[in-house]
Amino acid sequence: MDVVAQLQTLKDKYKSTEVEKAIPVDFDLRNLVAFDTNPVDHALLRSSPDTYLKNLAREGAQLLVNQIFGLPTETAQEGVFAKLPDATTQIPRAKPIPKEKALTRWENFAKTKGIQKRKTSRMVYDEGVGDYKPRWGYKGANQTTDDWLLEVPDNADPMEDQYEKRREEKKERVEKNKKQQRRNAEEASATAAGRNPREARKAEIQKKIVESKGSTASLGRFDAQLRNEDKIKIKRGKRKFEPATVDASIEKEGAMKVAKKVLKGEDGKVLNITKAVKQVHQKGGLRNVDMEEGKKKKRRTK
Amino acid sequence: MLRTVKARTAAGKRALKKREPQTIEEAKPAVFIKGTTTSQLVMSVLKDLYSLKRPDAVLFGKRNEVRPFDDPRPLEFFSQKNDAALFVIASHSKKRPHNLVFARTFDYQLLDMVEVGVEKGVPMEMFKTTKSAVGHRPLLVFSGDAWDSTDELRTLKSILLDMYRGATSNDMVNLAGVEHLICITAESAQKVYLRTYTIQLKKSGTRLPRVELEEMGPACDLVIRRCRTADTDLWKAATRVPKELKPQKEKNIERNELGDKMGRIHMHKQDLGKLQTRKMKGLKRGPAEDENEDEEEGQSKKRRED
Repeated sequence: MDVVAQLQTLKDKYKSTEVEKAIPVDFDLRNLVAFDTNPVDHALLRSSPDTYLKNLAREGAQLLVNQIFGLPTETAQEGVFAKLPDATTQIPRAKPIPKEKALTRWENFAKTKGIQKRKTSRMVYDEGVGDYKPRWGYKGANQTTDDWLLEVPDNADPMEDQYEKRREEKKERVEKNKKQQRRNAEEASATAAGRNPREARKAEIQKKIVESKGSTASLGRFDAQLRNEDKIKIKRGKRKFEPATVDASIEKEGAMKVAKKVLKGEDGKVLNITKAVKQVHQKGGLRNVDMEEGKKKKRRTK
Repeated sequence: MLRTVKARTAAGKRALKKREPQTIEEAKPAVFIKGTTTSQLVMSVLKDLYSLKRPDAVLFGKRNEVRPFDDPRPLEFFSQKNDAALFVIASHSKKRPHNLVFARTFDYQLLDMVEVGVEKGVPMEMFKTTKSAVGHRPLLVFSGDAWDSTDELRTLKSILLDMYRGATSNDMVNLAGVEHLICITAESAQKVYLRTYTIQLKKSGTRLPRVELEEMGPACDLVIRRCRTADTDLWKAATRVPKELKPQKEKNIERNELGDKMGRIHMHKQDLGKLQTRKMKGLKRGPAEDENEDEEEGQSKKRRED
């Protein structure tokens, strides 16, 4: 028997996997989706919707399966996996793209110098104990105050407490590290706001000086002078006093102004936020709202 | 809006870190909300849509006053609270019977939404057939020529695709896991049919399997109601592609019409002075000659520098 004929009989034994469509179907295999843009047969859909829709779905599924099973595969323990191509449909993200983290001073320095991070082991061998200890942290190898005996150096004061000294040194190191962290955070926030971190720091200090100068009764007149302090302008608000005797109507007006402000808010405008949001939203967002609308009405009533 | 809180514990820190934006995103979680009044029909459809979306889904047991076309703030609150980006809200009123709202958020802000009415619905439990396992990605088919004709259908297509496409961060799909199909057919700009089937792969005599379907449910006929398309700026921000995921530009490599790779290599000018010619015994240099040669070379270099 001819091989071609043999194959044909084998094929005829089963139903075909081929589907004919007037307009070729689009696929986005990463999303496992097929877009069949062929027009729907309205008469068939009305007369027997279930069979028509099932047939339509079968054809679409067959085409999609043909595509997926035609992709390159990889075999793993869990089964055979098809490797999907990149997506072609544009779908919005759930959250914005993550912002790049600002580099710390050390990271910046390491980058310019080309210093790369090296992987160090978490545990280090402690010869004194004869066992492995964590490099840092609880019961770590760097916990120097845990030693039961400390040697007093030759040139040191014999009465000095070496344990106390180490504790103080560690405290200082921690403080220094915290300070650097704070500085890095401040610099990062200044750069994120588009300002020069040095200038931002300068402005901050100047502001603090002005504040502290103004906080004494003499407005800093008898304080010790800082270097270049005369370049810093200290603003001093002048107090204004109303005359003791005024017209009763002026006094009344002022009182009424305060009362109105308390009762109705600034300038007598009352904004019902819930109502405003609703109105804007029902029109389909801010872009569809006529901002002049309210103003015109007001003029007409006048 | 919720306060932005600072974590005090390590577990809290991890939880907040998990919520941070990612370059490659996982499947968007969806929240299925019961409105203040609902009908049996719309609730059965909501529950079935929820079971199709599981495990990346939450179904709220209590009723909530959420009317996103009037006020998006409750939705945005739920978005932040549940770290979810997709919403389906079921409601039923005289004016809009058996109502479903499909909504989507970006950065906890409402992006777009579309409202549909359920005209006919057969719940999943009415079909006495085997159901697909939880967590498998469905195949999706959008058929009909009306899909790109209106904003309403475009939005609905995008949201449904977003909801049921599953985790696309993984580029591998288990061929044995191809279990079910969601087919959504747009008859006209107003009417949409949603049908769900389980897939059976049969022998076909070729390498590709023959697909047979069995209806699994839910099956519902939907009519399009209100729609709110995405704000242009917000959409633009939402569809930005991270730098890491953009295809890298290949320098000096082209492909001709036949698909052959053509490379362009830039090289230094060849030094013909050092060209190896045919070696002959008579031309071989002795040790004395070598020294002279070195001197000469030094001189020539100097000359070149001048």
